[in-house]
Amino acid sequence: MVMTKKKIGVYVCHCGGNISDYVDIEKVKEAVKDEANVYLLKNTLFACSDSSQKEMVADIQTNELDAIVVASCSPKLHVPTFRGVAQRAGMNPYNYVQVNIREQGSWAHSDNPKGATEKAILLVKAGIARAAESEALTSSKIPAANVVAVIGAGVGGMRSAIALADMGTEVYLIEKEKNVGGHVANFGSLFTTDKMGYELSANLLSEVKKRENIKLFTNAEIVEKKGSIGNFDIQVKVDNDVLPLHVGAFVVNTGFDSYQPQQGEYGFGEQTNVITLPEFKKLIDNSSERLIFNGKAIKKVAYIYCVGSRQNDEGDNKYCSRYCCTAAIHASVQVNKKFKDVTNLHFNRGIRTYGKQELLYEESSKNGDIYLQFSLDSIPEITQKGGKTFVKVKDILSAGKEVETEADLVVLVTGMVPRENSKLASQLKIPVGRDNFFNEIHMKLRPVETVIDGVLIAGTCQSPKNILETMNSSMAAAAKINSVLTKVK
Amino acid sequence: MASNGQPKILVFSTEKISDPALDLAGLLKKHYPFTIYTISVPCSSCIKPRWIMRAFDKGFSGVFIAADGTDCSYGESCGEKTSQVVTTTHQLMRDKGLKPSQLKMAAICSVCAEPVVKHLTGFMKELEKMQS
Amino acid sequence: MEATNNDSMNRSNAGTTDYDVLVIGAGIAGEESALKLADMGFKVLLIEKEPSIGGKMILLSKVFPTLDCAACITTPKVSETARHPNITILTLAEAESIVKEENNLFSVTFKKHPRYVVENDCTGCQECETVCPMVVKDQFQFNLVARKAIYIPFNIANPRVALIDIENCTLCGACEQKCPSNCIDFTQKEELVNIKVKSVIVATGFKLFDPISIERYGYGRYKNVITSMQMERELAPTRPFNSVLRPSDGKVPDKIAYIFCTGSRDHTVGNPICSQVCCMYSTKQAQLLMGALPMADISLYYINIRAFGKGFNEFYMQAKDMGANYVKGKIGSISEKENGNLILRYEDIVTGKVTEKEHDLVVLSVGLLANHEITKVFKNEKLELDALKYIKQPDLLQSPATTSIKGVFVAGTATSPMDIPDTIMSAGAAASETSGYLNQWS
Repeated sequence: MVMTKKKIGVYVCHCGGNISDYVDIEKVKEAVKDEANVYLLKNTLFACSDSSQKEMVADIQTNELDAIVVASCSPKLHVPTFRGVAQRAGMNPYNYVQVNIREQGSWAHSDNPKGATEKAILLVKAGIARAAESEALTSSKIPAANVVAVIGAGVGGMRSAIALADMGTEVYLIEKEKNVGGHVANFGSLFTTDKMGYELSANLLSEVKKRENIKLFTNAEIVEKKGSIGNFDIQVKVDNDVLPLHVGAFVVNTGFDSYQPQQGEYGFGEQTNVITLPEFKKLIDNSSERLIFNGKAIKKVAYIYCVGSRQNDEGDNKYCSRYCCTAAIHASVQVNKKFKDVTNLHFNRGIRTYGKQELLYEESSKNGDIYLQFSLDSIPEITQKGGKTFVKVKDILSAGKEVETEADLVVLVTGMVPRENSKLASQLKIPVGRDNFFNEIHMKLRPVETVIDGVLIAGTCQSPKNILETMNSSMAAAAKINSVLTKVK
Repeated sequence: MASNGQPKILVFSTEKISDPALDLAGLLKKHYPFTIYTISVPCSSCIKPRWIMRAFDKGFSGVFIAADGTDCSYGESCGEKTSQVVTTTHQLMRDKGLKPSQLKMAAICSVCAEPVVKHLTGFMKELEKMQS
Repeated sequence: MEATNNDSMNRSNAGTTDYDVLVIGAGIAGEESALKLADMGFKVLLIEKEPSIGGKMILLSKVFPTLDCAACITTPKVSETARHPNITILTLAEAESIVKEENNLFSVTFKKHPRYVVENDCTGCQECETVCPMVVKDQFQFNLVARKAIYIPFNIANPRVALIDIENCTLCGACEQKCPSNCIDFTQKEELVNIKVKSVIVATGFKLFDPISIERYGYGRYKNVITSMQMERELAPTRPFNSVLRPSDGKVPDKIAYIFCTGSRDHTVGNPICSQVCCMYSTKQAQLLMGALPMADISLYYINIRAFGKGFNEFYMQAKDMGANYVKGKIGSISEKENGNLILRYEDIVTGKVTEKEHDLVVLSVGLLANHEITKVFKNEKLELDALKYIKQPDLLQSPATTSIKGVFVAGTATSPMDIPDTIMSAGAAASETSGYLNQWS
């Protein structure tokens, strides 16, 4: 038997102008004040602010309201906030209805304030009816397994696992390859630190092994998944066996892939001395006194930036891959440190060595490295003349002068692309963003969570980032999911 | 009918997936006609044909189901079940003399702001033609 | 890092300590780490030296690249923090000394500055402001407008409670007479409080570069050269004016210039690094200005555009499409005309020529600097700084939240310039490492 609510409190929010600049709040109030069962009608500047919330709690208690309607922004933002208000006031939190008159009101119809107001009126009336007539359920408690499956044992995944273990959560660390460490395990020198990539990876692996509550599975993949947050049942294929595991949540740390240039892109695949930055990095790490490639001594290196990033055409990678300017300049500084008489020429589209990484750019410039800048509509031309390689470009930094130089080696500074993860993505239903990386709920405030409860994303599978940023994101995911799984009321 | 005579469309969106797409459209200020109202439900397969019929009774010219396709984490069969809802409703609509094209369904992902606005503005144009 | 196995339920023993964690600074980093730790069951004391929590973020207009209103996304976090049963918040509280004891506990002494208002009784009605005779520059509006000596810091402050700026107060008592809840108390004194905690998180944030030291830009002399933070306030929902105005004559500007890298990438002012967020916040402000003043020309004078994060490059392209004019060239000097307009002199890199352009309002995109005074508070063990005066992270890649003192962690812009999502992740990492540390506590 559903009891109609008799005393509904209605709050119409200005949202600091975001709503009231387009929707006539007074008109909305006027139109809904006589709706059946509306007991209280107020407007707020920011309904979500602490003082408004306090007021709502007082209103509910003093007037013995049996339902509230908040007409403000998207439920994505504040449903927990106002459910909390209801709970604190002793009201069933599901007797609160959220009406979205911002994202689906003032903003969607900012070109038509009259229309936005009319729509807001109808939406609020609908919300009031919903609050009046719907039957609120009560929430139930289910025991949650304090176990997390971390998918991917690169440096990020290992760090998530260690963080979780130290906070008392059991971890299944699931790695698709035979070896852990992902890309970083194959790196020599890293920027902003004097540790080597393989050292970092080895250190993390030994920390993982020290912790009894981390079980590492290599050559392993999830083949089936069922359930919901706190209670997932998965089948993991390890070598040739299939293991059933029970976990409370997932932290996805599947990492990135390097962009593979297309055949002919800046001569890649056609000329033998055009390689990618990861390949060049390996060459530097593996060479000691002299820089030699294909039996030839390298005296001039030309770096071409933004290969596979910041593209403009439909279907291209429009994003900036974030780590590459710093990585390329770091390689250049390494070249200078290790080898004599090598000239580094950087053909870039604006150097993005943000934060403290700027100091590397400064060091490189002081070392005598040469920087030339080009724009997307006039990219460098790589040509072969008489067995030699030439790079020609219109240099913005010298007011568009055409510059041509010989280069022994052309290094394409390739960006990060999302890993081919469609199987995992469809198993876990991980949403994918417009740039094809995994999508977080809210870019600013909830960067490691997804709309799927119990599935978190960390590291480069969420967006390009460097190692430090991957570590922060992995530990933040660990902190978030641990706090959810261990909640004891 | 709305105050300006424009047809009204009722959209059923899903809380976790297509509703965020509509929010994103608002965030990006991708405008669409204001006589489009949304009710958000946990899953599009729970939409009852009689709700859709009631919408037409109450003056909506069109109903749009912004379904999830394969994005939903709770089950693969959502798309099928929702299509079934549409098929059943089409029958009821025919009985009442409504055109089947007044009920539409499309798979909308959580960042499909542009596609959903395209669908809705296109739908509105169709309904305006029908009205005239 | 040491391996540990433990019982996750038994987190906090109130025994010998008052709190498990002291978080210094209640900006977004402090709040986020406090919330995560509180959710895990630890008892947190969050102290903030300003009269409101929310840090710099709560004063912003909209945030890049989503253009969410900053207040809308900060206030719920602020609320959640304020209401959490495991978090105690003290505003106007400043750490004085922290001493690490033999048993690894930290003995903390902090100063509670008097508000001269009884917090629990103040309803935020603002009646006191209407009768106060003293008018002072408003630091929360970055000196764009004035406030009274008794004031509520800003509309969405938390706690939304008045305080008296006693230095500028004449003790006339008008507020005391007017206050309907009788909560004004001139007898309040500064208090020194001593507590013991198991761990500390330093989340003291950043300082904004003061462009007064760049003489050739004329900040402080030319009225219409303002900082980006001042422009931020003009654009914020709790803004001082109803439109964007320029200081000299209140005219609505229509030829606005942005000067990037003010105080960053500049050895002459002692800050050689990139502040990471200014390219983006300037682009954001440009987009907002183009919305608010559709007829205005916005020119942005830059060295490089650091649009590297998720959605950033797309946001920058969008601003260009909207008509923002990005000019590559560093401003050499600014001179003022009689009508308050400014002439900017620069080398236009694309043409290679030295050019002069006139604008009616100039916004300096000021950089972020280290806020290092907190090191003085640590008395016996030293909280080390790096060469740039940020809190040093000795194990940068493996344990980014640890500092030179065991048990003291760091979060957010106290370590280096960063934007809001990076700060949230850094705070999450700090919570994770602090939690791991506390779980080993015996």
